[in-house]
Amino acid sequence: MKFSFNWLTELAEGVTLPPAELGRLITMRTAECEGVETLPDGDSVLEIDNKSITHRPDLWGHHGLAREIAAIVDGRLRDPVKPELLPFDAPAIGVEIEDYALAQRYSALTFENVTVAPSPEWLQRRLTAVGLNPINNIVDVTNYVMAEIAQPMHAFDWDLLHGPLILVRRAREGERIVALNEEQYRLDPRDLVIADGRGPIAIAGVIGGLDTGIGGNTRRLVLESANFQASSIRMTSARLKLRTDASMRFEKAQDPHNTVRGLARALELLEEVSPGIRLVGGVADSCAALTPPAPILLPVDWLVRKLGRDVEMAEVVRILERLEFGVKETAPRILSVTVPTWRATRDVSIKDDLVEEVGRMIGYDSIPIQAPALPVLPPHPNEERLYHREVRTALVELGFTEVHNYSFVNEEQVRALGLDPGDHLEVANPISQDQGLLRRSLLAGIRRNINENLKHFDSFRLFEIGCEIHKQPEGLPEEIPHLAAVAASRDDGTAGLMELKRVAEHLMPGCDLAPAEARPYEHPVRVADVLWRGKPTGRLFELHPSLVETGRAAVLDLNLAAVQSLSASSQVSYRPIRRYPASAFDLSVVTGLRALVGEIGKKLASYAAGDLVSIEFLRQYTGPPLAEGTKSVSFRLTVASADRTLSSEEAGAIRARIIDAMRSEGYDLRV
Amino acid sequence: MPETVLSNLEAAARERIRTAAGAEELERVRVEVLGRKGSLSEISKGLGKLPPEERAGAGRQLNAVKQALEAALQARQTEFEETAGKARLAAEWIDLTLPAPGPARGHLHPISRLQAEIEDVFTSLGFTVLDGPEVETEYHNFDALNIPRDHPARDMQDTFWLTGGSVLRTHTSPVQVRGMERFGPPLRIIAPGRVFRNEELDASHEHTFYQLEGMMVDRDVSVAHLVYFMKTLLTAVFKREVTVRLRPGFFPFVEPGFELDIHCLICGGQGCRVCKQSGWVEQIGCGLVHPNVLRMSGIDPEEWNGFAFGLGLTRLVMMRYAIDDVRYLQGGDLRFLNQF
Repeated sequence: MKFSFNWLTELAEGVTLPPAELGRLITMRTAECEGVETLPDGDSVLEIDNKSITHRPDLWGHHGLAREIAAIVDGRLRDPVKPELLPFDAPAIGVEIEDYALAQRYSALTFENVTVAPSPEWLQRRLTAVGLNPINNIVDVTNYVMAEIAQPMHAFDWDLLHGPLILVRRAREGERIVALNEEQYRLDPRDLVIADGRGPIAIAGVIGGLDTGIGGNTRRLVLESANFQASSIRMTSARLKLRTDASMRFEKAQDPHNTVRGLARALELLEEVSPGIRLVGGVADSCAALTPPAPILLPVDWLVRKLGRDVEMAEVVRILERLEFGVKETAPRILSVTVPTWRATRDVSIKDDLVEEVGRMIGYDSIPIQAPALPVLPPHPNEERLYHREVRTALVELGFTEVHNYSFVNEEQVRALGLDPGDHLEVANPISQDQGLLRRSLLAGIRRNINENLKHFDSFRLFEIGCEIHKQPEGLPEEIPHLAAVAASRDDGTAGLMELKRVAEHLMPGCDLAPAEARPYEHPVRVADVLWRGKPTGRLFELHPSLVETGRAAVLDLNLAAVQSLSASSQVSYRPIRRYPASAFDLSVVTGLRALVGEIGKKLASYAAGDLVSIEFLRQYTGPPLAEGTKSVSFRLTVASADRTLSSEEAGAIRARIIDAMRSEGYDLRV
Repeated sequence: MPETVLSNLEAAARERIRTAAGAEELERVRVEVLGRKGSLSEISKGLGKLPPEERAGAGRQLNAVKQALEAALQARQTEFEETAGKARLAAEWIDLTLPAPGPARGHLHPISRLQAEIEDVFTSLGFTVLDGPEVETEYHNFDALNIPRDHPARDMQDTFWLTGGSVLRTHTSPVQVRGMERFGPPLRIIAPGRVFRNEELDASHEHTFYQLEGMMVDRDVSVAHLVYFMKTLLTAVFKREVTVRLRPGFFPFVEPGFELDIHCLICGGQGCRVCKQSGWVEQIGCGLVHPNVLRMSGIDPEEWNGFAFGLGLTRLVMMRYAIDDVRYLQGGDLRFLNQF
């Protein structure tokens, strides 16, 4: 929102500060001044951040900001409105509001002998300075009043209206209107319209109709100054994607007392810019019963505790009064504060709101920094986060670099992985169709990381920790934290798989890899389920080579929630160190080429049973003298007894027992 | 036996020991001089022929020479061993400038790193680190934060809506609500995490970024306390004293609400491109918790109050590392990430 420095200082008298300095003070006391621009004519424009005045309907006009300035610099506020100009005659037209919940007030004045012409230069300059386009004297006056006192207004060509009554009502289903921007809008009962005897002549609070607008031939006019329910205007404006200077103000909840003030100010200006213009009748005014807000009780000691700085009661009173609050001390150090109507619509309603008024005016910078006196308590641990941090640290130490990918994926990425887009949660209003779904797997992003980085590196390791988002039949989706770690390179891919197996074992000591049916995105025979403590925790696989542009990429995809819950259950309990020496012997099993070494090892261990201290894989071998299609797998088994030294006969007996058992299961042992 | 025979023999043997080229030559000297058939042995055989009064003296002399030569041999032997040992080790030279095998250490994402630092600061101050879902209910993201439907404040955050009516959280503030629901007062929490805004992507705008929310609810929490925590936080993050200023700011879930600026760290407050010549950089949105927010989460605002703040982690990371394009952070490009 742009403010003219000259305009402001015309309304707030006694400002001696240069524009930039004033801008700084406004930033510190009221709203963020984002910049000050000097205009060729010597005026300056203060740019106030709209977001910082979302809650202040009054600051959408110069008079409101001038009030703040007067309070800040202890200047005098001048009211540009002369209510006494308004006539007391009977109105020449009727105005009616169908539902006061949607429009609190509709006021209008009627004029004849209108001359439509360009505005005088001073008026055009003011409008241009604050970013409004001069159109003609009549429209410019409505815009001027809006920019001055935040009251949006609209002028209709009276001769183009049908019937004696202006009605504020809900639009009928399918009703259409061509607006001043020459666009046609289709309305429905959620929208509020201004209608004459024939149909809608304006979308209430948003934009006027083209048919009834002011043109060169306009001789008589109806000037509208109304107050509409903020959320209704906002909804219509959002639905029609039509934000106007009027709708922006109305959606902040304007003061219904301001409508007739707008008429008075416009009347004065019209007489100046359209010489000979004459009022016809008095103010037509349809108004809901306006109940004054209940005064707010403000205990001064409570205020002081909230701020953390002492403030004299007299100072509190002075600040509030300068902002035109009514203040009375109704009990010792308890103030009864009446909120001015332009702050009462939504902005100020509770004593906490007054803390802000006082705080900002004494200057938040004047509050000394103070440590609170609080009990020293250890925080609740967040096991999940601590665990994720542990995993992150481990992966980094093992050589992996962390990436963050977006939560958005698109159908093409999902289909490429052989997943069903229908299983994914959908964004109703995506930025582009390219980001229409929420990821249900980290792999789409990871795949992109692999292909992008293979353009620059021959081999690399990376990982991501992020949530898979799983759609549920109802309610919020399930968000499951996952780790996806990648080892990619331009080799045959085996080293990467082994390295990731090491990562898995690092995170889950003693985990198992079990053969698994490949999913569409997995290499058909390079895939395993990862199991820890008997429970599935994820997959180790090579990304299907068709998904990698050049090179190979091994992936470890773990459900971190599952891993974490299993890691929490590990409880170490000490066992005495074995006192008697152990004996070791090697065994070699000859078997098919794709027999699993892990399975053979487990078998051997199971037959060694209680005698086993440890089993170690030594090597596997293919070639002569072994038969074609077979391999020999060698292990070293260490056995011992808990209560004595095993004799060599005893150790031999254990070995023989294992060999017999293996052979009886059909294994071929080389002895 | 003339003494000169013995001393000549000793001198000759010493000379041979001194000039011996290696262990083998030394062994020859030992055999020829001290061995069973060596020269000293020959001389000792002749001792019996001496008159008894000379015999004892000559024996002592002979023994002294024998011991002296044995010591000399031993010393020379040790010398040879030491030299050989040194040579053996010298041959074991290794080029330690060769790269070590195995992967080099990886790199933590700069956001994770900063987030962990801030988590640690707040944990040490007694704050619990909380998480909330990325997909939120409309209630938690808006209504419970005093942002009713059709309030213009909803425009402050362009929202991604999901089919089914939930939203991608537009801020980490809903975790305040979840924290109050879960723990009740008194309460000290922070909630770092990923948030989403429906904005087109460019060098300074992201639809996905990271925030850190904080909240303290206790009795008689004041603006002065809020500033204390904010300053503590910023000093810990930037590892030096920072100058802050507090000014009015509007956030529907706090009252009063503030923007906390810090003196621009690039120009030190003189004014530069980064701070748009103002000397100040917006850092934290904060305020005292709005009583409606407390009430909606079942906390009596007459008995309890508190402060809340929100900090842009992405923005802070960009400032710390002078990153000029936000897209790098989620671009997954190792040429960027390997720098951290």
